[in-house]
Amino acid sequence: MNTAGEEAVLEVLLVEDNPGDVRLTLEAFREANKSIRLHVAADGVEAMDFLRGLGAHVNAPRPIFILLDLNLPRMDGREVLAQIKTDDDLKSIPTIILSTSQAEEDVAKCYQLQANCYLTKPARFDAFESTVKIINDFWLQKVKFPASRRAE
Amino acid sequence: MPTALAERPSTAPAHDTGAGKDTLRHLAQMEGRYRALLEAAPDAMVVVNQSGEVVLLNLQAEKQFGYNRDELVGQKVTAIIPEGFAERLIADGERTAAQALAQQIGTGIELTGRRKDGSQFPIEMMLSPVESAEGVLVTAAIRDISARKRAEKHLVQMEGRRRLMEVALRESEENYRLLLDGVEDYAIFMMDPSGKITSWNVGAERMKGYSAAEILGQNFSRFFPARDIARGRPKEILRLTAASGRHEESAMRVRKDGSTFLASLTFTALRDQAGNLRGVSEFSHDLTESKESGAKYRALMEAAPDAMVVVNEGGEVVLLNLQAEKQFGYSRDELLGQKVTTIIPEGFAERLIADGERTAAQALAQQIGTGIELTARRKDGSEFPIEMMLSPVESAEGVLVTAAIRDISARKKAEKHLARTEDAEKRLAQKVEELNRSNEELGQFAYIASHDLQEPLRMVASYTQLLSRRYKGKLDADADEYIAFAVDGAARMQRLIQDLLAFSRIGTAGQELADMSSEEALKQALDNLQGAMEDSGALVTHDTLPPVVADEMQVVQLFQNLIGNAIKYQGPGVPRVHISAAKGDGKKWIFSVKDNGLGIEPKYFEKIFAMFQRLHKRDEFAGTGIGLAICKKIVERHGGKISVESQLGQGSTFRFALTQGGMKT
Repeated sequence: MNTAGEEAVLEVLLVEDNPGDVRLTLEAFREANKSIRLHVAADGVEAMDFLRGLGAHVNAPRPIFILLDLNLPRMDGREVLAQIKTDDDLKSIPTIILSTSQAEEDVAKCYQLQANCYLTKPARFDAFESTVKIINDFWLQKVKFPASRRAE
Repeated sequence: MPTALAERPSTAPAHDTGAGKDTLRHLAQMEGRYRALLEAAPDAMVVVNQSGEVVLLNLQAEKQFGYNRDELVGQKVTAIIPEGFAERLIADGERTAAQALAQQIGTGIELTGRRKDGSQFPIEMMLSPVESAEGVLVTAAIRDISARKRAEKHLVQMEGRRRLMEVALRESEENYRLLLDGVEDYAIFMMDPSGKITSWNVGAERMKGYSAAEILGQNFSRFFPARDIARGRPKEILRLTAASGRHEESAMRVRKDGSTFLASLTFTALRDQAGNLRGVSEFSHDLTESKESGAKYRALMEAAPDAMVVVNEGGEVVLLNLQAEKQFGYSRDELLGQKVTTIIPEGFAERLIADGERTAAQALAQQIGTGIELTARRKDGSEFPIEMMLSPVESAEGVLVTAAIRDISARKKAEKHLARTEDAEKRLAQKVEELNRSNEELGQFAYIASHDLQEPLRMVASYTQLLSRRYKGKLDADADEYIAFAVDGAARMQRLIQDLLAFSRIGTAGQELADMSSEEALKQALDNLQGAMEDSGALVTHDTLPPVVADEMQVVQLFQNLIGNAIKYQGPGVPRVHISAAKGDGKKWIFSVKDNGLGIEPKYFEKIFAMFQRLHKRDEFAGTGIGLAICKKIVERHGGKISVESQLGQGSTFRFALTQGGMKT
């Protein structure tokens, strides 16, 4: 991270329909990194609106990465993933799948659709907390991103 | 045997009528008795002396051969029957003429007749000797069988039953030709044009039961069954006879005692020289009781394996055999003259009936040769299935139908049984399908349920944990304890659900069985167990393991669960596990996973493979009790069985079978 990174707000999009999970993620990130601002989209359609700055999300920021659940109302996570990864503007945003599903076919399908990684939601809070911490440590501390295209 | 025969010249000039002078004189006496009889006979009748000269002939003979009576009398019989007749009259070294003749009596001889115009036609001849003052005279009853010959040619193609009937009918016809030597077997009487009886012979008395004194002057209608009288049959017969000169029929008649019988009857119109109708003669004989043809006919009928019933166009039973009596439970007398609907209520009588588009014969013709399945009724009212074959025989009174009736109860029963068996099989297949479906649905249900249960449970588990994290020590001791129980309960339920999910996925998410290395699978399992092995210091060894046909992931799981158990339920020393494989029956490998652990009591051998069965308290060993249930399900999915051999404190050996692999060339 650059020197300005200390104060900079880190925009993250969480696509999750379960308020319990949303809150858990918030709690976990709060403990991991205070500069993260978590935006929540409750379904796939809203997620795409957010990413494309449509409707109520005209002023939505471009997120550093996306945490994407698979089972969503209206448009499910796989479809969201497919749209992101076939969109020239969006495909460079790292998209992390965070799902309860451990099914082989889900894992395989998501990687085929170019998911950046696949994580299963741990059953216990401590495990969940450590997963979030790992995400933070890796994606927010270690990974180098290209210059933001939507900045102009 | 008259000696005069030998003194007669063996031949006589063709024109010499003197040769028959005595004969003629004698015959003049006979004429009174036989004239009418002879003239009325349906066949050509020719009386020949021992020299082979024609001494008498009837109207029918004149017609048939095309000669006037005068032209033929005194002529050699060879004039009309060139071969085969005269020879039969001649004695040879070994037998007298009478003996020679005797051998021919009663049998139909087929010869060729020659008309005056030289044309030839097939005949059937019956001979009967008549003793006379001048020796034995021979009466030849000659029938033109051209039509029959033609019919016979046609009949050759017909089936056996029809032939049987044809033979039977011919025999009954032959009876007419036994007339002269078997008068007692024939009822012969005359009546006036109104049917009033004017003469009565011994045969008539025998057959019908009336003496001449009783019957003379009575109307012949009394021989008819009531229903025939009611429909005016007697008058109709008189009318038919008067119209065509002759009428033949086989029909039921009634005896004096009221009993009925099937009679073969011939009516002949008797006219004076002016052609006025003077009366009608009736020749009849009892078809059912006649000694000769009846016996043969009956023998044939009775020998038939099927019930045989002969029915006339009126739908009345005119003849039946023993088998029919047995099958329907009636005695012969009870059925004769009855409507056939008595025994076959539906489907038979209808077939005899003409309609607007076809005659009865045509209607019937459509049924010939095909088995018709109907229901028959016994005298006791019980019914049984039959198959019926019909064959029509044209007779003088129209078409008679012989029905060969076979009881097909046994066949029907077999068919029903077959149908039931098929039905049962179908139901079984349906059951299996239903079971498969419900099994599948159950698996689906378990998968979905456990999958969907995880979501809310994760909430409970996570938040109770968060609660515990954030508020432990900030509330009171009770609150801390409650939260701890909630956290523990939620965690346990999570494990259960995960195991259940794994269990249900064996069936629903399994891979195709394929060739694979069981040793590779074991290595993967050991990798997965690395943590547990390091913690316990377990020593796992194995033989070289063979290739198998299996779902690799599941074999890994199988090894993992069994070895994991072996390590988990360890005895006092260092856990030792050895895996080996040995050849089993039918291309199977029997794998053994042997440990030196706690061992299992034999009474639990079955129980340990059941779902959620645990032998230990929760605080002794963790686990949901599903590991071995998963093992069992995996092995069963691979068509094998899993078993355990163990003694408490002596370790356990788990064995399971997998199909031999590496068979492909």
